[in-house]
Amino acid sequence: MSGSSICPDWEPINKDEWRGVWIFIEAFDGEVNEASLQLLNPGRIIADKIKTDLVGVIVGHNIKHLVNEPIYYGAEKVIYVDDPRLSIYTPEVYAESLITLIRKYKPEILLAAGTLRGREMIPYVANTLRAGITADCTDFDVDVNTRDLIMIRPPFGATLLAHIRAPERRPQLSTVRPNVFKLPKKDTSRKGEIIEEKVIIPEPRIKLVSSEEVKIEEVPIEKAEIIVSGGRGLGSADGFKLLEKLAELLGGVVAGSRKAVDAGWIPHERQVGQTGKSVKASLYIAVGISGAAQHLFGIREAELVVAINNDAQAPIFENADYGIVADYREAIPALIEEIMRRRNK
Amino acid sequence: MKIIVSVKWVPNTQIVNIDPRTGTLIREGIPSIINPHDLNAVELALQLKEKYGGTVTAVSMAPMSAKAGLEFIIGMGVDKAILISDRVFAGADTLATSYTLSRAIERLKPYDVLIFGQETIDSSTAHIGAQTASWLKIPYIYYVTDVEYVDGVVRVTRRLEKRIEVYELPIPCLLVVAMKSYEPRPVKLSYKLRTKMENCIEIWTNNELGLIRECIGLKGSPTRVEKSIATPSVPRKKQKFDGQDVNTAVKWLVDKLIEEGVKIA
Repeated sequence: MSGSSICPDWEPINKDEWRGVWIFIEAFDGEVNEASLQLLNPGRIIADKIKTDLVGVIVGHNIKHLVNEPIYYGAEKVIYVDDPRLSIYTPEVYAESLITLIRKYKPEILLAAGTLRGREMIPYVANTLRAGITADCTDFDVDVNTRDLIMIRPPFGATLLAHIRAPERRPQLSTVRPNVFKLPKKDTSRKGEIIEEKVIIPEPRIKLVSSEEVKIEEVPIEKAEIIVSGGRGLGSADGFKLLEKLAELLGGVVAGSRKAVDAGWIPHERQVGQTGKSVKASLYIAVGISGAAQHLFGIREAELVVAINNDAQAPIFENADYGIVADYREAIPALIEEIMRRRNK
Repeated sequence: MKIIVSVKWVPNTQIVNIDPRTGTLIREGIPSIINPHDLNAVELALQLKEKYGGTVTAVSMAPMSAKAGLEFIIGMGVDKAILISDRVFAGADTLATSYTLSRAIERLKPYDVLIFGQETIDSSTAHIGAQTASWLKIPYIYYVTDVEYVDGVVRVTRRLEKRIEVYELPIPCLLVVAMKSYEPRPVKLSYKLRTKMENCIEIWTNNELGLIRECIGLKGSPTRVEKSIATPSVPRKKQKFDGQDVNTAVKWLVDKLIEEGVKIA
């Protein structure tokens, strides 16, 4: 037994008082984040299994026009705080507002999108409540007897999925990367209960001085139709130049495995996998990628997977539709040439 | 400026290989290293010290073998390192880890800036920065790419998906450095030799911290790894061309892609 009652600052928890599945809905710049709405999908399944409400929770400013969105995607209730003091996001102020709502309503589960802001504020929420939290979950289940959330994630490098519980504390918190779950069907005829809450919002201790939108020119990999992706087998950053040529020819984009990102060959926002992004491409070409479980997770939703690798034993071939055992330095130029030849026919 | 930087001792996942026959991780002979994203934090700490004066103290909760990692960052220029090492801390999840770290940091008071790496290469949760800020009740910000210190105020630039933001934080505060943002400097032999001459690495066990056993390690962790099960795999066609001639191979592949309806031409 963990010493909830002994440890300093741990509020004792009576698990029977905690009911309901909450989805934290990010709403910034007048929009609801789609990654948050996607979590209404697993949230619905969990809530039905333990016969409780699925609730969307929004904190922010000028968000009244968005409060029905979670209902349309499957929630039966929305709790929101709309306050000018939330017009500027700082992790502490947003987290404290959410903590106040959690203390009042006592939800047993809270899922949040693993966006940059989500990953910044949700661990603070969990910790302040002395609650268990897991990051980058890829699936969930629930124990209907104990109402424990089973939080499922692959640990690094493993081909096994870890099942994690927080049996003694409530709420149970998890973050989930965007696109891990599909957006539920939108039904604008759905009706639900909308509750406006007022909370005491702490004075921000940090001050936003400026905020500037930056243009992103490249198509983000989670939206790309064709992806040419490189791994450690490329051997160097130079290898990506070949992949870029192929991607350009196919009208696609370049991405990479975790190892390519760790090696500094490609930026983190173009990383495919459990700790990067999940892709939905119609064609995914994996070059010099061995096929670790984390990577394979990121390409579950890819329609067609092609592997090019000089190691005939690489696990990627067991997880690809078509594979070529070859040195990419020969195969990619040959492939480019073959495509050009067919186009010129 | 008194700066504390937190580092983690991790298996070098960059050289970890998957056994092709069993599909499991080959762990034998994998050396540990200081988490590379924490080296960005160390570099920021050293740059702040150079610009504004002060000291840099590193903290790490790890087995005794992590001493080698702490010697490495002392070689980069860190003044002093605290190795928080005790069997009773083992099995900690991120809440119990950040609790132990925060109690150690409390003992180093007063401090001005705490610096953390964005995430670790072995678990990637990115929890510890926010959780430590929660324990210490100090303001914090993630994804920092630039820091200035003017009139007692820490001014940081940070990058979100589509925004560049500038924030001002009072001291003490906690900064989480963006990955790849501060290229770590090389080790200087003369700095590293300090570890032989002076007592610049201190070992703190729970005798020093005096934490209740129920609140640390596995016992102080709300989360439990219950079991591990095999990953279900997506069904794929698994057709492999393993021949000598690469031109034949790509012809075969392009034919297959066209059959699948990919618009190649």
